[in-house]
Amino acid sequence: MSNFSRTAQQWASFARSWFLIDARMQPPGKIASMCSVRLQGKHKPIYHAISDLGDHVVVINSRHIAFSGNKWEQKVYSSHTGYPGGFKQVTAAQLHQKDPKAIVKLAVYGMLPKNLHRRTMMQRLHIFPDDELPEDILANLTEELQQPREIPRKLNEYTQEEKDAFPRVWTPPEDYLLK
Amino acid sequence: MAFRSVLRSVWTSFTGLNPGTLSSSVVARQTQNVPRLSALTIHSRGIRQALIFGLTTLQIEGKILEVPPGPKPPNPEAKCPIYRWNLQHKYNYTDVLLLSQFIRSDGGMLPKRITGLCPEEHRKIAVCVQMAHRAGLLPDHRPRLPEGHVPKPKKPKLNRYLTRWSVGSVKPIYKKGLKWCKKRMDVGHPALKNNIRYGFGHLHLRH
Repeated sequence: MSNFSRTAQQWASFARSWFLIDARMQPPGKIASMCSVRLQGKHKPIYHAISDLGDHVVVINSRHIAFSGNKWEQKVYSSHTGYPGGFKQVTAAQLHQKDPKAIVKLAVYGMLPKNLHRRTMMQRLHIFPDDELPEDILANLTEELQQPREIPRKLNEYTQEEKDAFPRVWTPPEDYLLK
Repeated sequence: MAFRSVLRSVWTSFTGLNPGTLSSSVVARQTQNVPRLSALTIHSRGIRQALIFGLTTLQIEGKILEVPPGPKPPNPEAKCPIYRWNLQHKYNYTDVLLLSQFIRSDGGMLPKRITGLCPEEHRKIAVCVQMAHRAGLLPDHRPRLPEGHVPKPKKPKLNRYLTRWSVGSVKPIYKKGLKWCKKRMDVGHPALKNNIRYGFGHLHLRH
């Protein structure tokens, strides 16, 4: 880094990078907080609110996000069309079925600072419901971020050796029929 | 004649099994006529190996294999298996290898008079098993469907984890309330409140 020319060093510090986040089995709130940090540019030590430092963030598999608790049924997204009687309330499950990108988009929108920069930052957020990305975005990606939640393994994903290595915690009585 | 027809029915019930590769938790549900004993069925803990042999007459021999003794628990005097292995406050809904030892093949819990669990641990394990089922971590422990049942095309299920209440029983929170009196959403279960947490964060049961 010491042998960069001044122009090259300026480019390296202020260039806009493209991050990739896989949202499969992840809580949308944690994904959104990671996105908002990088869209504002707060992950950079040279951050200032005026200098337009934010990076692009691409979120894939937004159709497969996982809510903790019963939020799919309990969490309600409200909106008003502006006309009388136009107050609409939809549960997270219904909204996700109608538009699989909406939950992550609304979460990130709520976490960004509430000023005029928010719309430009949202333009730099790219959400895709599945794995497929267009080629131009795929060519721009620089870094993939680690998923915030560790995905637990299902019982059929353990090998037979691992299942045998786990000790039997109790022994059934001789005459009990194990179904 | 009756004996052979009975044996044939037993043989057809065994065609799906590969002799010698049965695991120790296999079902001994089907009634079997072991030739040397009387025609009455004998339910036992597990006939682990079934050898099918004979060309003209079908003979099935069932042997109860000796299971090699496993590792010893660190606290053998305790009554409850969780306390015997010092697992109290240490397991969660993700520890499927432990939870699967206390469930039946259709996903239900085994009674505590059989497993030997103390009442609090039985309740905690039941709660963890419920959460694991709702998270989809036990895909093979489904209720048995009647024969000839054609499953309808299912709509894709939503991913979830740490669900306390059953999916159809919860109502949407249309009026959330102000910050000081907000209606919070329940996550996890208070039975697992005393689990050991490595790290500084608090356990949030109400989001």
